[in-house]
Amino acid sequence: MTDLLFLLEVSLAGLGSGALLSLTALAFVLIYKATRVINLAVGEILMLGSYLFFAFAAGMGLSVWLALPLAVAGGALTGAVVERGLIRPMLGESPISVFMVTVGLGSVLIGLVELIWGTDPRSLPPFIANTPVFLGEAYVSRKILVAFLVAAAVMAAFMLLFRYWRGGVALRATATDQAAAYSCGINVPGVFSAAWTVGCGIAAGAGVLLGAIGGISPSMGVFGLSALVVVIVGGLDSILGALIGGLALGLIQSWAGTYLGGEYQGVVTFGLLIVALMVRPYGLFGTHEIERL
Amino acid sequence: MFSLTRRRVTGLMAGVALVAGLGAAQAQEDDIVIGGSIPLTGVFAFAGVAIEAGMQDYITQVNEAGGIGGRNLRLAYEDTGYKVDQSVAVFNKLTSQDEIHLYYGDSTGFAKTIAPELNRMGGMIMGGASFASELNDPEEHPYMFMAGPDYSEMIAILMEYIAEETPGAKIVLVNSDTEFGRDPIESSRAKASELGLEIVEEIITPPTAVDVSTEVLKLRRARPDYTIFHGYILAPLPEFMTQAQQLGLETKFMGTFWSMDSSIWDSVGEPADGFMGVMPYRYYYDEEADAPTMAKIREMRPEYQATGYMQGYLSAMLMAESARRVLDQGQELTGTNLKAAMNTIQDFDTGGLIGIPISIPGNSVPVGRVYQYSAAEKKMQPVSDWITVTE
Amino acid sequence: MIIGTAKETYRADAALLTTPPQRVWMAIFLAALLVLPFMLDAYWLYLVCLAMINVGAATGLNILTGYTGLVSLGQAAFMAVGAYTVAWLERDLGTPMLVNLAAAGGVAAAVGVLVGIPSLRVKGLYLAIATIAASFILHFVFVHWVPVTGGASGISVPPATFFGVELVTYFRLYWVILPVTALMVLGAANLFRTRIGRAFIAVRDRDISAEVLGIPLLRYKLMSFGIASFYAGVSGGLWAYFFRVVTPESFPLLASIFLLAAIIVGGMGTILGGIIGAIFMTLAPEMLRFVVEWVSPWVPNAGTLLSPLRTVVFGAMIVGFLVFEPQGIAEIVARVRRYFRLWPFRT
Repeated sequence: MTDLLFLLEVSLAGLGSGALLSLTALAFVLIYKATRVINLAVGEILMLGSYLFFAFAAGMGLSVWLALPLAVAGGALTGAVVERGLIRPMLGESPISVFMVTVGLGSVLIGLVELIWGTDPRSLPPFIANTPVFLGEAYVSRKILVAFLVAAAVMAAFMLLFRYWRGGVALRATATDQAAAYSCGINVPGVFSAAWTVGCGIAAGAGVLLGAIGGISPSMGVFGLSALVVVIVGGLDSILGALIGGLALGLIQSWAGTYLGGEYQGVVTFGLLIVALMVRPYGLFGTHEIERL
Repeated sequence: MFSLTRRRVTGLMAGVALVAGLGAAQAQEDDIVIGGSIPLTGVFAFAGVAIEAGMQDYITQVNEAGGIGGRNLRLAYEDTGYKVDQSVAVFNKLTSQDEIHLYYGDSTGFAKTIAPELNRMGGMIMGGASFASELNDPEEHPYMFMAGPDYSEMIAILMEYIAEETPGAKIVLVNSDTEFGRDPIESSRAKASELGLEIVEEIITPPTAVDVSTEVLKLRRARPDYTIFHGYILAPLPEFMTQAQQLGLETKFMGTFWSMDSSIWDSVGEPADGFMGVMPYRYYYDEEADAPTMAKIREMRPEYQATGYMQGYLSAMLMAESARRVLDQGQELTGTNLKAAMNTIQDFDTGGLIGIPISIPGNSVPVGRVYQYSAAEKKMQPVSDWITVTE
Repeated sequence: MIIGTAKETYRADAALLTTPPQRVWMAIFLAALLVLPFMLDAYWLYLVCLAMINVGAATGLNILTGYTGLVSLGQAAFMAVGAYTVAWLERDLGTPMLVNLAAAGGVAAAVGVLVGIPSLRVKGLYLAIATIAASFILHFVFVHWVPVTGGASGISVPPATFFGVELVTYFRLYWVILPVTALMVLGAANLFRTRIGRAFIAVRDRDISAEVLGIPLLRYKLMSFGIASFYAGVSGGLWAYFFRVVTPESFPLLASIFLLAAIIVGGMGTILGGIIGAIFMTLAPEMLRFVVEWVSPWVPNAGTLLSPLRTVVFGAMIVGFLVFEPQGIAEIVARVRRYFRLWPFRT
């Protein structure tokens, strides 16, 4: 086994976990694009999604193929309720207040999950086969590959939707100029609702994938923080940024973990974030509209 | 504002002196109270709940047999959520409610925080859920004890076993990047070179690690005979083992006490098969003949009890035994007396909770046994004899 | 009833306490603080001390976030810097306590200014996220700079000594924590009677106009970061003496969120808000303990509900106050005061 092969395998693993980051980042981007809210509770919605899947698949004994859409729907429903109940009344408040509302929401979700399912770490019922995949000679974990493919498909679908579908265009219009969008007859509150619903649904789906790989626990929401780094680096309102940022961060984390040691992953991630904020605060692909002084 | 308050303040200072005499005298009950900061919720709840059950059962048993010198034992405990500041709050609450000479603490952080206070008060000894090597220092922590081997000793037990089975084996250490995970790394290196084992790789995983593919690749490159995990409960061990099996790695996986409960491995299923680790106590379902304590436990609790239960049970047993020895000698229950009494425990029969008679020369009970998980039977099965490590 | 407060001098106008009832209440409050430790047992004394330490840190964060408008989720990390400074000085140099506390503030302020530099490029949410990043990087430093920080297992702090008295009990520590915290709060209250404090407020309200008014943004934003971190550092130093061990896990991100929640709940941009918020957020979870104890005869396993319930209540308080009472408890207090001032004529 050559070192080059090793590097290749490490990179593939990095890309795989990067795809999960991208998927989670997509949830941030959708919500931010429509409502200008950084939803720090995305990580907790993700956690909730994995627990819902656990409840449906392991608790109620449903087939995983039924449990998966139900979990996504549960996440989406949570998103819709949160948008209507907490975010809409906060319209026009400072972004910081809304941000803190989502922080509080995250805490509430963690507490509720602990109340219902307890705090023990659990494993999800296996639904991705365990046989390894070899691309050429390089080993890839099948779960990671599945995560990568799902994430890629979802991202591609959303990029196409944004380009060609009416709803996607409506969202982009709202993101560009709310007042103008209103006057063109776009149902702006509807767009808000839709963005939160879809965004939280995606997060829940990502949670199921994540849980299938690493097991679930109430504290798994911290994954959201890494995804937050992705969107800051990639640009808060850019799907392309989320995709490329996620893959890049996955790669960098993987390389850092391999060649420096696992303890360097966090510091490299957040170091990158600081550098990105200093150099390009609007992100690599984000809209250049940050007020600078 | 200032002139005004200053005048009032001086006036009040006189009043303050009067109130000073109000040091509340606590009602002295006859019970011997064991205090406990126990995590019934939070990340460590699975252990805390079991620990509480174990302690209660032993206490009930003692009380049914007439208590200690006619005095009943009582467990006064509250939930901490496994957070240090809450553990300290509970400690302060309980110690100001009752006269407490025996205490159960829930975490390394708490033990270290309360240690100076313990040394100052000198009135109690404390055991707990932490097996931190740092606490196993009778000089620094004269009033602490742990009902089992410390983390370094656990790894040492595993290594003794490895050296016996596969002399000169290659080992990879996988530790989480936390205080808990990093605890035994230094001493493990020393122990390995002493036993002629080779540590070929040390992997540190960030505490939030989800995907372990890169770590597994490192593992494949290192080709170890044994992989020792420390600093985890469950995740990410199953994924580690699954992927390693996919890659056809021959390595054997090992863990330490807190990841040795067999019920958590039941949910993992097939990939868990063959997982080994060090366990200082017998398992609930271990039906060897010379274990009256185990039979008693099975009689009191018809269903499986987790490893934490045994830990709590033994902790309460050691506390009660120390108190009994102190009272038998007609001494007062102080930290020094209790700890001295505990150190007189020599070749003590735990009724089979631990398979061999135990002694407590310092702060720990450096005994353990290597068990292996069998997915077919859903049980941990002993693969070694009881191993005692001495410094 | 007070119809109005006629002020005849600028001094009177800028005074901290303007009406006689305010002065009387303040005096009663201070007197109560002096009597308090003689009345309480160790448990309550512990909570009171902890609340006071949080008051210092929250007041600092209030200067930064409430008054200058710069959101930080790194306040706990600066507390950690202060705590480590004290621990290191006590362990390696054995310098006197007050020197250590001052040094803790100084070092934390220096680190705070460094972290504040991104605030020149980014604001609002981006800044909040930059401070999250900074606290993770600081955590890394705490774990890996072993000769100074003791690595993952941290540093045990010898007890503080003050003129030969070892401050080992909460009772004794109280008499250090109280004056230090009181001094910090008083300093913060007075800060906003000076040019610097008013400049902070101008920066918060509209930074561009502030710059036009001749307030150098660079200097004042960094100064605000420095002062806030100084407060955090001193509080962290007190924390170190209080808990006697400092580890990298002592100050998680959650602690920063806690402090931000404290000023949100208490009321951003008022000194009173920082104080009330910190006390309320420290004591409220402990009060839940009593609630749970009280309902336990009727609810099976009530004990195991405590911690999730605390998490829920913590989050719900943040959300609830932001949605329903964005000015925090301080606003409620003000409303009550208004009510009594006009009573019985207008209710």
